[in-house]
Amino acid sequence: MIPNHAGYYGQFGGSFVPEVLRPALMELNDAFQAFKKNRTYQAKYLTDLQDYAGRPTPLYFAENLTHHYGGGRIYLKREDLCHTGAHKINNTLGQILLAQYMGKKRIIAETGAGQHGVATATVAVRAGLECCIYMGVEDMKRQQPNVDRMTMLGAEVRPVSAGTGTLKDATNEALRDWIATSKTTHYIMGSVVGPHPFPLIVRHFQKVIGEEVLRQIKRKENRAPDILIACVGGGSNALGLFYPMLPMLQIEMIGVEAGGCGLDTGKHAASLTQGDLGIFHGMKSYFLQDYDGQIKVAHSLSAGLDYPGVGPEHSFLHHTKRVTYVTVTDEEALKAAFLLCKTEGIIPALESAHALAILEKIAPHTDEKTLIVVNLSGRGDKDMLVYSHHYHKKDHHE
Amino acid sequence: MNKTLHEVIARKKAVGDFLLSLYITAGYPHLKDTPQIILELDKAGVDFIELGIPFSDPLADGPVIQKASQIALNNGFRISHTFEILKEVRQQSSIPILLMSYLNPIYHYGIETFLNQAHIWGANGLIIPDLPLEERGLFTPFLDKYALDLIYLLPPNAPDERLHAIDDASTSFVYVVAYAGVTGRENSDPIHILPFLQTLKKSLTHPFLVGFGIHSHQDIAFYSRYADGVIIGSAFIKYLEKVTEKNIPKKTREFVHALTSPPA
Repeated sequence: MIPNHAGYYGQFGGSFVPEVLRPALMELNDAFQAFKKNRTYQAKYLTDLQDYAGRPTPLYFAENLTHHYGGGRIYLKREDLCHTGAHKINNTLGQILLAQYMGKKRIIAETGAGQHGVATATVAVRAGLECCIYMGVEDMKRQQPNVDRMTMLGAEVRPVSAGTGTLKDATNEALRDWIATSKTTHYIMGSVVGPHPFPLIVRHFQKVIGEEVLRQIKRKENRAPDILIACVGGGSNALGLFYPMLPMLQIEMIGVEAGGCGLDTGKHAASLTQGDLGIFHGMKSYFLQDYDGQIKVAHSLSAGLDYPGVGPEHSFLHHTKRVTYVTVTDEEALKAAFLLCKTEGIIPALESAHALAILEKIAPHTDEKTLIVVNLSGRGDKDMLVYSHHYHKKDHHE
Repeated sequence: MNKTLHEVIARKKAVGDFLLSLYITAGYPHLKDTPQIILELDKAGVDFIELGIPFSDPLADGPVIQKASQIALNNGFRISHTFEILKEVRQQSSIPILLMSYLNPIYHYGIETFLNQAHIWGANGLIIPDLPLEERGLFTPFLDKYALDLIYLLPPNAPDERLHAIDDASTSFVYVVAYAGVTGRENSDPIHILPFLQTLKKSLTHPFLVGFGIHSHQDIAFYSRYADGVIIGSAFIKYLEKVTEKNIPKKTREFVHALTSPPA
């Protein structure tokens, strides 16, 4: 069984938290196991996914993009069409029910790009629960529209200026809140990170992505896909896509980390490919860190990938070589975003643009029978400031 | 098990006196201040020291220690400075020193290598706030070899079976956390934990010290009725913020004096 009872995926994972959080994690683990068997809650979750989030999301054959690369057939899993604009809602819909099941009165969450924050604020207001979102001040600047959305949805957005004012610091602050409030508060972790059982819970609520892909592609192509591609920050959309197909060893899986300004510049968020084994944010995994084990500043143009760590199961899949992890720079991601826009009329989130960018290196080398599925994890509305800045800059130079 | 630490605790307990421990962030307020601060604390009658190794992301700490850690790191603090501090202090003092560090810096350094160095330069024990009891096996194989005590934290929300497990795993004293929260909270009302303290007095086989949010003589008077001592951190760090470099020795003595003597 992965993870084992202590939350280990091979040598990765675990539950490295101050003793004060232990009762809350035990309660969460017990509640989650019971919740999965509770028919009423399960039925409610499935209805919410369908009628509120808009699932199943389409598996779209990107014909123009396929022609552009002249290789395998490219399918896009349209998580960008989910309510609130990204796959994050799959997890928050599940976890809010879990919070209600446990009788919690208050919800907290961290957010980077703001997508998880919006998805959390959305389900919290609907459930009538008080909601507080921690967000780094840097991220608040670059994702202003999402700050406004959370506020409109009735959440309190607490700016975090400590450290670098990004996702890592927002996570620290949310954990500090939880240390003091866990009796009444549920922490909706946004990715497959943190102490056990969070990586397991988030994976459980995201695996619907891969399960749908498998059904949908069987209907369209009468077989399983050959290549799966997804971006990896903490890694929830990637694990959601990969997890149900992990036992199908013929399927190649590629996780794309943020290469930022380039790996040689040191300004990147490639925790798996460039980081060292460490223990932080409750888990043993790979982290960007310096010679003294101090956690380093991650960099990515995409706020959602700007995290110096990665979920423990990804570390395990990296270690066992089941999944191949690669990096894509800010520039390559931008280029891929504009290409998708031009070929398919879809503006992707900057995060998802990282997954799309690797197609250039893969798709042309595959034959036309190869089936490639890219997880289009979110839409680009929130990134319009970055895109328009880039667009005008490009315009100016041409 | 560390002999010096045990002797200090036993000596105090024998005369019914309470233990006073102070926390200082290494490399704060200035990189080279720490040995002098420790020596002054010793002279002022503090029983043992918690030497905090600054970490980039101290998630069990409140704003005061977060800021001190950041200042120390900005001062250029390196893990190796910890051992230099110990070396300097040990030329003049045998006051027990417990190294307080988050897990990652030690893990990155190499656990056994770190413990070996800590032993060589004269540390007496370790406090690791994000090391759960279940993972103590990372450290326990080396503790006897390097004569170090590993101190566990016990928060007020710990269920009974946990309380006993922590007591059983402890070798010198138990670090009792006064409230569920991060360090340095203001205006914590100690009355709320009275039942918890009474339970501990009955149930724990080891001496226990209370820490988190303790800042006054009055606090000490309250806790010393139940606990074997107190640990003071954020209050001292905050106090040092306003102290000029040349006044550090004098002001350090005054801080301890104000804690240990009743207000005039």
